[in-house]
Amino acid sequence: MEQKILIVDDEAHIRMLIEQTLEELEDEGVEFLTAENGEIALDIIQKENPKLVFLDVMMPKMNGMEVCRRVKKELELKNVFIVLLTAKGQELDRQRGQEVGADVYMTKPFDPEIILSKAKEVLGLA
Amino acid sequence: MAKISLKNIVGRKNETSAVISNLIDQLKANVWIEDENGKILSGKQLESPLSIAAVIADNEKIGSVKGDEKAVVIAALISQLAQKETEKKNLGAEVLNLYQEINVIFNFSEQLSQTIEPDAIAKITLQQAMHSIPAHSGVLVLWDDVNKTLSVPATEGEPMFNNDNLVANASLLLKIGLSGNSEIMADPSLLKARGIVNDEAQSLAYASMKVKHRIMGAIILAGKNTDQFSASNLKLLVTLALQSSAAIESAMLYEKNIREVKEREEAILRIHEVTKKFVPHEFIRSLGKETLSDVKLGDQVEKLVTVLFTDIRDFTTLSEKMTPEENFHFVSSFNARLGPIIRSNNGFINQYLGDSIMAIFPEDPADALNAAVNMQKAVHELNEERKQQGLVPIKAGIGMHTGTLIMGITGDEFRMDAATISDTVNTAARIESLTKYYRSPLLLSDHTLNHLNGNNSFHFRHLGNVKLKGKNNLLSIIECINGFDDQQLERKLQTLSLFNDAMTAYHERQFENALQNFQKIIATDPDDLTAIYFHDNTKKYLREGVPHNWSGAEEMVSK
Repeated sequence: MEQKILIVDDEAHIRMLIEQTLEELEDEGVEFLTAENGEIALDIIQKENPKLVFLDVMMPKMNGMEVCRRVKKELELKNVFIVLLTAKGQELDRQRGQEVGADVYMTKPFDPEIILSKAKEVLGLA
Repeated sequence: MAKISLKNIVGRKNETSAVISNLIDQLKANVWIEDENGKILSGKQLESPLSIAAVIADNEKIGSVKGDEKAVVIAALISQLAQKETEKKNLGAEVLNLYQEINVIFNFSEQLSQTIEPDAIAKITLQQAMHSIPAHSGVLVLWDDVNKTLSVPATEGEPMFNNDNLVANASLLLKIGLSGNSEIMADPSLLKARGIVNDEAQSLAYASMKVKHRIMGAIILAGKNTDQFSASNLKLLVTLALQSSAAIESAMLYEKNIREVKEREEAILRIHEVTKKFVPHEFIRSLGKETLSDVKLGDQVEKLVTVLFTDIRDFTTLSEKMTPEENFHFVSSFNARLGPIIRSNNGFINQYLGDSIMAIFPEDPADALNAAVNMQKAVHELNEERKQQGLVPIKAGIGMHTGTLIMGITGDEFRMDAATISDTVNTAARIESLTKYYRSPLLLSDHTLNHLNGNNSFHFRHLGNVKLKGKNNLLSIIECINGFDDQQLERKLQTLSLFNDAMTAYHERQFENALQNFQKIIATDPDDLTAIYFHDNTKKYLREGVPHNWSGAEEMVSK
């Protein structure tokens, strides 16, 4: 089955950068999905069942924390690996991120190498 | 640049592939699409295609469309789409590169902000450079413009650089890496010849570190390949070098500030130590302050103290025989003997006035008397030494008085002085000058005697009342005889009751009686100068009679 990665951020350039970072996974048959807000993201997660989600915290229409909480706590989609992304300097969110069930927590600007290696690890491509 | 894969354009369930298959249907084209390896990505293969058209992106064949004659049109469209996709990817890759750089600089700034030690900053900088730029070896050198020396606070990677040769070739490095330039050096033969970098190095990249126009050092990276470094590598290296220069500069300034503050603190401490010698700590403490710098104009405190004055008798005559330098030495060594005696008896020297000392005893008048007695003994010792050197003995007079005293800071905002303002000081000074008059070495007032604890071992002789110049009240003057040498003390104790009888008779105008007693005393103790003084006075009054208003009190008109 084709593995899917969902990239959720309200900023188009961040979506593009993450996609670009993970480009080489395309050759492994990984499909990329994108969403620009929490509502769309939640919809895609339920329909497409992505294995990995890069989820921005600060977003209009349902923030990343809420999306994460619904996925992990309400829908109980434990198999969806969620990486929460937040701007540097908002590290206070870290504890809340753990409370809502995020698997990993990363700060922006992100280190592309770390994003790529995390994705490979989660998808079993390392 | 990453080559685009045709599979990603036509082989997936996305909008592009939907448009293409839609077009093929509409054209009723009988074609199939293969990737560059001949693998079919879309459509059904026919036995023998009528037409074969290549799909080209970025001047490279990425696959082909095969089938009927419509394959050419479809291949052209897919090529066009692939070209756009390639351009998008290339742009994306470039943006990602920039983003990666921002991330490096961001992290680097964060690390720098947590460090204030220049060498640590040098290490972090070089580690970051080696992490972000593909180099085999790297060094960071710092130039000390004051001492004109080079140091190597950080090295990373393989040992391709020789630190000793780096330091030894400062002038060569000044011409290149430290010249303020940054570049990729494709031919490092000059540096190899000097043994700065080993033969493995095929290219170097260096960025100078500078703040404004001042060169601080350089980051030098070495690679084993001739095309090791790209222009964007150099750009990043320059950014790191500039950032770290500013950080190292601040760190050095910080270190310098810390050092200067420390030096200033030490200097202030030394000043305090010195001022203590000029203005006694006890004086400052009496004002409730810790250091002289805490003291303000107008600070004052009132205390009951005993003030003691010493003076070298006939100092003028004595000093006439000395050069000014000898004179100074004499006074200094005399004061040096007396200072410790005052301090060990809980007193402090308020002022040196040439050959005389003013000391204050804030606690017990007995302290002042003990000090005075020991000072007299010190004078005896000094005289023993002088006798051996063939010098004339010196005589010192000591006078003291007990009373309230205001210690305070007087003057104006530009010139302040620790001052004792009190009648007690004047009176003590006058009593000291009475020692010449009564020819006694140690005198005190009845005020001192009254404040003395009765339980003491001092021996006193009452010399009568004195009316000091400008004063209305009479002051009783008392001599303490404990400071005489053993022989003289012995004789004065023998004649003590005779002396008291004589003084009583003298004050009651029984001059015949007084004269007899004084004569007896002098017969026993021919050196009793005070007895001689009163003996002579008695004789005078017997001969000339006393003034009609004579009260027995001596009227002091001179100081």
